[in-house]
Amino acid sequence: MDPSHSRPADAPADAMPAPALAAAGGQAGGVTPGAGSDPSPPIDAASLARALEAVVGPRGVLRRRSELAVYTADGLPGYRKFPSLAVFPANRAQLIDVVLVLAEHGAPFVPRGAGTGLSGGALADDVVLVGLNRLHRVLSLDPENAVAVVEPGVVNAALTRAAAPFGLYYAPDPSSQAACTIGGNVAENAGGPHCLKYGVTLNHVLGVTAVLSDGEVVTLGPGASGAESAGYDLLGAFVGSEGCFGVALDVTVKLTRAPQAVRTLLADFMSMDDAARATSAIIACGILPAALEMMDGPTIRAVEASIYAAGYPADAEAVLLAEVDGLAAGLDTDAGTIARICTAHGARTVRIASDPADRARLWQGRKKAFGAMGRVSSHLVVQDAVIPRTQLPAVLARIRDIATRHRVTVCNVFHAGDGNLHPNIGYNAYDADESARVDLAMREIMRICVDAGGTITGEHGVGLDKIGYMELIFSPSSLAAQCRLREVFDPERRMNPGKVVPVHSCREWSRRPS
Amino acid sequence: MVTPPVVTAPSEAWAPQTAIGVQDAVREAIATRAAIRIAGGGSWLDAGRPVAPDARVLRLDTLRGITQYTPGDLTLTARAGTPLREIAEATAAEGQWLALDAFATSDDGGSIGATIATASAGPLAYALGLPRDIALGVEVVTGDGEIIRAGGRVVKNVAGYDLTRLMTGAWGTLGVITEVSVRLRARPEVDRTLALARAGPAESAADVAAGLRTAAMAPLAAELLNPALAARLGVTATGSPVLLLRLGGNAERVASEQMEAGKLGDGAVIDTDVWRALRQCERYSPGAVVVRWSQLPSLVANTWRHAVECCAGSPEALIHASLERGVVRAIIPAADTAALARVLHPEDRPSGGPVFVGRRIAERLPARLWSAEPAPGTTDRLARRVRMAFDPWHVLNPGILGEGARDAADRHGGSP
Repeated sequence: MDPSHSRPADAPADAMPAPALAAAGGQAGGVTPGAGSDPSPPIDAASLARALEAVVGPRGVLRRRSELAVYTADGLPGYRKFPSLAVFPANRAQLIDVVLVLAEHGAPFVPRGAGTGLSGGALADDVVLVGLNRLHRVLSLDPENAVAVVEPGVVNAALTRAAAPFGLYYAPDPSSQAACTIGGNVAENAGGPHCLKYGVTLNHVLGVTAVLSDGEVVTLGPGASGAESAGYDLLGAFVGSEGCFGVALDVTVKLTRAPQAVRTLLADFMSMDDAARATSAIIACGILPAALEMMDGPTIRAVEASIYAAGYPADAEAVLLAEVDGLAAGLDTDAGTIARICTAHGARTVRIASDPADRARLWQGRKKAFGAMGRVSSHLVVQDAVIPRTQLPAVLARIRDIATRHRVTVCNVFHAGDGNLHPNIGYNAYDADESARVDLAMREIMRICVDAGGTITGEHGVGLDKIGYMELIFSPSSLAAQCRLREVFDPERRMNPGKVVPVHSCREWSRRPS
Repeated sequence: MVTPPVVTAPSEAWAPQTAIGVQDAVREAIATRAAIRIAGGGSWLDAGRPVAPDARVLRLDTLRGITQYTPGDLTLTARAGTPLREIAEATAAEGQWLALDAFATSDDGGSIGATIATASAGPLAYALGLPRDIALGVEVVTGDGEIIRAGGRVVKNVAGYDLTRLMTGAWGTLGVITEVSVRLRARPEVDRTLALARAGPAESAADVAAGLRTAAMAPLAAELLNPALAARLGVTATGSPVLLLRLGGNAERVASEQMEAGKLGDGAVIDTDVWRALRQCERYSPGAVVVRWSQLPSLVANTWRHAVECCAGSPEALIHASLERGVVRAIIPAADTAALARVLHPEDRPSGGPVFVGRRIAERLPARLWSAEPAPGTTDRLARRVRMAFDPWHVLNPGILGEGARDAADRHGGSP
């Protein structure tokens, strides 16, 4: 998602109100720069900047507040954090040297891709920000084995463009794919609508070469060699580590062969319940759709009032967007089965996209839904939680109750097929009362998702936003185990400090033999 | 610090029925400087490297049962010792399946805990995912005796660092897996298996892989069998290699794929039960050596040729290839020492032939040969640090990853 959609462009940066969700769960307040390490001697900022300039040149380091303002936010609304400085290595060698300089100075730092993340993972609060956008080359592409090696700053959609001439594409498709980078996707283990059939980033990454916080370069996973890798699945651990384990120098990804045929269906319902039950029935029937997305009435009306109007029936209370793809043979039969299931569960109409342009239009409404909500309110909290699929009707009903009780408007637009909810609340962040109600509603929504057997984030990451919810789903010993893993990679906890795991969880295990 | 090793007589196995019981066992092991040999169903105990000889067995077959299964969620949670057969029966009743079909010698398919702990994959892995793609969450007793949970029961989850992936394939050396949550699949409407005879020399049988890649089909599994294995499974009478294809989907799609498959060879529809027989093919050759080779899928024809040439002169050697994953596996009678020598030391082969540049992985070897097997990926700095972080006293399956005697010495010399 382009964060500009969720925030007025003319809002003065420093005047952003205290974030509604900063204190969510009561833990975020404990986050301090460099948190996680014990107090260490202050870093000589001038000396650090000089050393970094020696690596990347004077234009590769930003220090002025006016220049840094661009890097004070990511896709999480309501937060403004100034990095102490920002450094932009131009290539792999410079990136390694930058990390070495940071290690010599004991400086905490935050790696950043495109800054489209929705959990605050790329916010650098008075620590160094390392921008990776200049490392944007596709290093190699092996069409026969459907494998590509890319630098971390390669944009998700650009990789698909590079692969398209070979009949291949990169399957994970977060809504921000036109801007977000593969490095950021790896850090967040990003998802997207088509992950229902094709899997998330983890399932598409074959290898990572990373520089660790002490400057050591490590190779994780089999990479482009194609041979099974040996030993622990440290690649699996690295994917989704939110920039706390290392900085990717290159990423080896699996490409997917473009399907022979695609069918996209739109079904509209007069109740969310019916649409949710249709979802469960489709999943259970033996067909694995490429995508199965749901939008509720408020979302439909926001989309239809916007330039992204997709032709959704504006009086519907829910639409399901279903897609099947693969071999042409039998695909119409699968599409027909899905249409019948929708009708049997109360769909008013089911239509199948007539041509690629029609299909693109149906998808545009879904992918730009967050942007369309900019018409409704100045700010938007994009929430992310996962529940078991059979719990959809019950949880959606409870979300409605919560919204009514706290007088907020929830728009649901989400990956129904895998139970990945995005209850979004539009609000005005300058209205303290409304912000507080949004905060309370979100906390209650997270709790009911956890109570239903779900989790606090399916694809956006924990970052800063969800850190206070971690104790809802993990015991102290489980959180301490996560800290142990982090310290295998980054013993000084200098990378992306204060994110993912609450700091106090990491202080409670200390009886390790050295 | 030098402490004389604590010598313990082989003791009775632990047989815990809960995670707490596992925790008690691990804590007892730490306190007494004992080593633990984790045993799921106990059917793979001779697979993998030998564990320290004084290790006491921790049985997990007493820790069994499906603890949560809501068919509409397409997820399932089971205790580690639950046999895959039991899960297959429960899910089949709902038209679903767990796509973990690792090679196993036992009738019950092995336990889910062992399958995840060893990240063992079978013919369905290319189409339906490796164990790392299927595991959603685990409960684990770590080597320092903590009960932890990672991941969850839902199909998408990025909350926290991914300890589920870390435990998957760690062979129990970071923690004893006590419970696993997995993703299920709805069974396809039609599930059809074809056996295609491949005329011509066995060495070139895997050339079919190129045709398979460009064919208008997406099989659930594509497994090439050498003539000996095809004969064992009863799928050929002609003595030629056989390509097994498993096709799934609606009737129209499967019919179309079946037509397409006709371009790859003369075929017949056979009983789907052949896959179960294939999974257990090691049983045809008790005490055999089992190895597999892995490199780029585009090179699988070379990998196959290498395997066939190594096994030349061993008429009973069973060879099969997961063509789309680029993995070739061989079961070689231990008595065929010449073939064995060629497998383990291909550089000594007199003839030329394609040079194999991928990885050879030993699954089952005579004890005396393990010490010469390289153990990549266990001795680098990160791997050692991971082990130290989760099993600081080296009580869990010490030696199974080939990590060396030094670690066993640490176990006896370290102080909790």
